[in-house]
Amino acid sequence: MSAEDPSSAHSAPVALLVVALLCALLLTAAVCPGSAAVPAEGADEGMPVLRRAAEAEDEVAYSAVREMTAAGGAKDRKARVRVVNRPGDGLALAPVGDGDEGAAFVVRSSSALESLDERLLGMLQDTYAVSDAGAADLGGRDTRVVEAERADGTVAGRFWVDAETGLLLGRTVYGAAGEPVFSVRLTGLVLGGGHWPDGEAGDVPWGDTLTGAERAGLRERGWSLPEHLTWNLRLVDARSTRHGGHRVVHAVYSDGLSQVSVFAQRGKLGTEHSPAFRNGYVGTGTGGGDVSTQHDTVFGGDTGQYRSMWQADGFVYTVLADAPAGLVSSAVTALPDPGDSGFWARVRRGLSRLGFL
Amino acid sequence: MEHLGERLSALVDGELGPAEHERALIHLAKCEPCRFEADMMRRLKRRLNGLCEPEPDMDFMGRLTSLSRDPGPVGRGPSDPPPGGAGFGARPPLGSSRPLGGLPGGSHPAVAPGVPPTPGGASQAPPGRVERSDRRRFGGDRLAHLFPGFPGGRYAVAGLAVATALIGSAFAAGGDSEEAPVVEPRLSDYAVEHAVTSRHMPVVDASPTAADAPYGSSETTR
Repeated sequence: MSAEDPSSAHSAPVALLVVALLCALLLTAAVCPGSAAVPAEGADEGMPVLRRAAEAEDEVAYSAVREMTAAGGAKDRKARVRVVNRPGDGLALAPVGDGDEGAAFVVRSSSALESLDERLLGMLQDTYAVSDAGAADLGGRDTRVVEAERADGTVAGRFWVDAETGLLLGRTVYGAAGEPVFSVRLTGLVLGGGHWPDGEAGDVPWGDTLTGAERAGLRERGWSLPEHLTWNLRLVDARSTRHGGHRVVHAVYSDGLSQVSVFAQRGKLGTEHSPAFRNGYVGTGTGGGDVSTQHDTVFGGDTGQYRSMWQADGFVYTVLADAPAGLVSSAVTALPDPGDSGFWARVRRGLSRLGFL
Repeated sequence: MEHLGERLSALVDGELGPAEHERALIHLAKCEPCRFEADMMRRLKRRLNGLCEPEPDMDFMGRLTSLSRDPGPVGRGPSDPPPGGAGFGARPPLGSSRPLGGLPGGSHPAVAPGVPPTPGGASQAPPGRVERSDRRRFGGDRLAHLFPGFPGGRYAVAGLAVATALIGSAFAAGGDSEEAPVVEPRLSDYAVEHAVTSRHMPVVDASPTAADAPYGSSETTR
């Protein structure tokens, strides 16, 4: 008996140690992101080429046709838009139909957009390894190819920059399996001024930019404005406006390749809300599907643009995105769930407000 | 003739020696007054011996039992108040105790001193008295009985109360700080704002009379 006591005394701590190590291993494996779900390291020698392209948009006047292609199952969906760029004035876009062109939409030049371009480029550099992939021909024009690679070496995005003018002639976003999910091409490029739509005042981003302190204040009052939606979707811009006297916040999240807009406003959707209500407030429009009042369905249009709308925790969220469907779903998942309205959800919210969580 | 006097009491109690006892009996045979007095003393003694032994008070025994059931903190002095929250007013009023000699009829058996306490010891006392006494005890004692196998039952009750208060406070704090109005998100404005920041055509036509979607749509369910 005396010989068994020391062995049992030794085996108990060893067993506890083994169990603790196993638990630590399991926890580490559970939280360890995939090899691609981390920022990619690299020299980012392709960034000067992309910065030159951003500057060219403010310096070179041109007109062209922008072709947008979104992968959608067996058949790709395309949309064509005529673009006219006038430095100092902005960018005019008009849908190109089978016959005549539709109503134009003008994005006026603004310092807010220039600073947003800078942050988007910074986000691209932080998330991916941006490399100069050499020269290539695109539609008969010499281009410089820049690739954005994930940490696992797969290509997440590819850019074609015109060697002569520095303009961005093409951009493609690839899925995790290497398949193209969304691409933009400029065809029929004509340098110089094109037809500028008459009487179009144009639009600029909402003027009330939210600083970090203002965002923190909103969070304390219950607004959900996370700095990250996913590991690669970071808040790059936040601004607000007022609709009917109530604040509406527009938060822009991006990985440098795609853009997800989250609109949040305090309130709830009416019971009489109808997805078929199409008077400009709630409903469908060009290239889009029905508005979903649910959280688990993201409706996509023909050009890789997705939308979703739901209410949760006293707020109504609307997501509009030009991004791969998987990225949009991840972004929507990271926002408050409409199921967060039960007893324990309210208790959890209260604990968070009281500082216990 | 000299009477027996104080020796008469010793004779009745059997405390005289043999010679004295013989002389006293000879005197009683000749002295009528001493014989009468001795007879009266014997009767009195028999009457006294016939009386029952007084029984202890049941309330007093019940309190003793409760004292021994809860040992209390170490170092409790005999002058300290009894444990279990039985403070002033928790005991039966003076005069309500059982009279010496037992209640008429003696239906309740006496509890011998020194009987070890048992969990059901209180049931040996008169039921009515014990129930009234229990009702007057501090409520924590009764709640602690909810956890008979858990000696820290009182702490469990306190923890439960704290948890309930915390959850209640969190529930109150988790409510909507403002009355949520019914809103209709201006999707067209959102689409324009998103199109401006992304330099795309808005998905939703900004005009109030938007036409039906010219293209089909797809949906992604997570």
